Amino acid sequence: MNPQSQPSTPSYTINCRMTHEAAALERLCQVVRIRGFRIATMAVETADEHLNIALTLEGTRPIAMLQSQLEKLHTVAEVVLGSGSVARSRSA
Amino acid sequence: MNGAQHILEAFHRHDISTVFGYPGGCIMPLYDALVDDVGVEHVLCRHEQGCALAADGYARASGRLGVCIATSGPGATNLITGVANAHRDSIPMLVITGQVPSGLIGTDAFQETDVLGMTLGIVKHSYLVDDADALPAIMHEAIELAQSGRPGPVWIDIPKDLLLTDVTEAPFAQSTQQATSNPDLTEALAMLRAARKPLLYSGGGISLAHAEDSFRTFAESSAMPAVVTLKGIGNPGKHNPYNLGMLGMHGSRAANKAVDECDLLLVIGARLDDRATGKLDGFAPNAKMIHIDADAAEINKLRPADLAIRGDLNDILTALTTALQDRPLAIGDWQKQCRTWYTTAGFHAADNEEALAPITGPAFIRQLSRVAPDDTVIACDVGQHQMWVAQHYEFDHPRHHLTSGGLGTMGFGLPAAIGAQFADRNSTVINVTGDGSFMMNAQELATIRRYNLPVKLVVMDNQCLGMVRQQQELFYNNRESQINLDDNPDFVAMARAFDIPALHIERTDQIRRGIETILAYNGPMLLHVAISREENVWPIVKPGASNTDMIDETARTAKASKEQVA
Repeated sequence: MNPQSQPSTPSYTINCRMTHEAAALERLCQVVRIRGFRIATMAVETADEHLNIALTLEGTRPIAMLQSQLEKLHTVAEVVLGSGSVARSRSA
Repeated sequence: MNGAQHILEAFHRHDISTVFGYPGGCIMPLYDALVDDVGVEHVLCRHEQGCALAADGYARASGRLGVCIATSGPGATNLITGVANAHRDSIPMLVITGQVPSGLIGTDAFQETDVLGMTLGIVKHSYLVDDADALPAIMHEAIELAQSGRPGPVWIDIPKDLLLTDVTEAPFAQSTQQATSNPDLTEALAMLRAARKPLLYSGGGISLAHAEDSFRTFAESSAMPAVVTLKGIGNPGKHNPYNLGMLGMHGSRAANKAVDECDLLLVIGARLDDRATGKLDGFAPNAKMIHIDADAAEINKLRPADLAIRGDLNDILTALTTALQDRPLAIGDWQKQCRTWYTTAGFHAADNEEALAPITGPAFIRQLSRVAPDDTVIACDVGQHQMWVAQHYEFDHPRHHLTSGGLGTMGFGLPAAIGAQFADRNSTVINVTGDGSFMMNAQELATIRRYNLPVKLVVMDNQCLGMVRQQQELFYNNRESQINLDDNPDFVAMARAFDIPALHIERTDQIRRGIETILAYNGPMLLHVAISREENVWPIVKPGASNTDMIDETARTAKASKEQVA
């Protein structure tokens, strides 16, 4: 998909804490993609048995829907949504 | 005790007595352990997809965990359709596959595939075991997880070397029951009492939560008019006078009309699937909605709920029943209206009185429903016959109707029937299938023969992919494309080649005797039912259209005459 064709896509920040298991990041990324969001930035830190993942996501669907789907993953301990949606112009 | 023996030990601890599988290179240590284990019945299917779908059918019919086993590579990839089927319909399933030895993972070894990676989207959770001592915890967690909350398949991929490694950790004990929830229903009750036209909308979540009895009690005592999704068929019971049947794309006009007119929709254990709701903008336009479900992610997913309650359906339904006991809902006019709709626009397929006439799908299913015992399990495939069963067979319990709802897997019915027969060797199990679906897992006839299962097979043969043909006729200007199956094999001869007796019928006056013959036969038997190629499932809502825009046969005839005039 050409990003230029979407003049304004809402952007969100999400912090996710999950168990550091074999397919942890793949699981997370797959849910993000299939539920209609695109990863703009991603930072991962390891803390003991966990991964702390900070994501900036873009997508037009309700972010609460993604949050509840991520929370369903068995290895996800916590999903914290950043403050509010930031609609930004991508064509600017 | 090595890893393989530990897996069998975990089966015993969790009362898993039947598993469906197919051996191969990397899973051989488990099959070796099975030789010495007489407590687990291993059912050998003839294709791994058959194993997964049989495990699915076993779980649906019994309410217990379905287990399937396969080797690495093609064994695992062949399971995928069956596991995806279970995932879409939230069926509790444990999948165990052998993987190439730990040291060979990532070397493109013989029969290596990245099973963990390729199955992420079709499992509730999955594991690649990297330490034999982790097996006890993983087996325990996987078995619990598959059956708890919203159930689903859990997949364990185990390298061959770990199946042979000694496990030093002790097995886990059975866990305790979940705590009972105590939801606040004050607002729900206020909304129910305020409504003049409340409608009960239930789905597959009722049987998944083992809440069949509490749902039926609630439906009967509240006397609310009720519609069901494809997977909710049987929830209200066939004698409930306010059961309007299935809603949606191939639902009854009565059910869709009630949804359109209701002022409160009480959705329980359903996820508002597009085949049920049609175009969401036009769905229940006058109604507030209470959504009760075990899965928080289903709440507000497609239509915002005015009130959402997440919790154990048994507890919630029991509490609602108790709360309504003192003062029943005053909805007499609405009940009367819904009864009228049911009478005039419900599914009431007439028996075809002309003895020599060709057999129609609805008339055959209606007869089957009348003649088969009440507790018969019908395992459907996917297509027109599946919708005729949903419309015209009168089910008294949701576990009697096994159907591939979410994924719509052609080839589901025959292995699912095998699983259902293993769940209860004494029950009557009938696979109702079409000529397209039947050929997708016909190899499982050999499984029926091997275990001498008394599964009955009804092949409704219209010599084409009828549902695709129907949609090509209605929505693609009748441009038929790749739906012709008139070179099907002789299904009667084919069944006999598997040592399964078979009977062919094609006229209305042969229906009853045909059904009675297969039911009376002490063993598996196939009934080949020739039906018209041109027959359609009515009514139908065009995909993406509103449920109020139903098309039926009169519309088709009117359109044809208009075109002739033009």
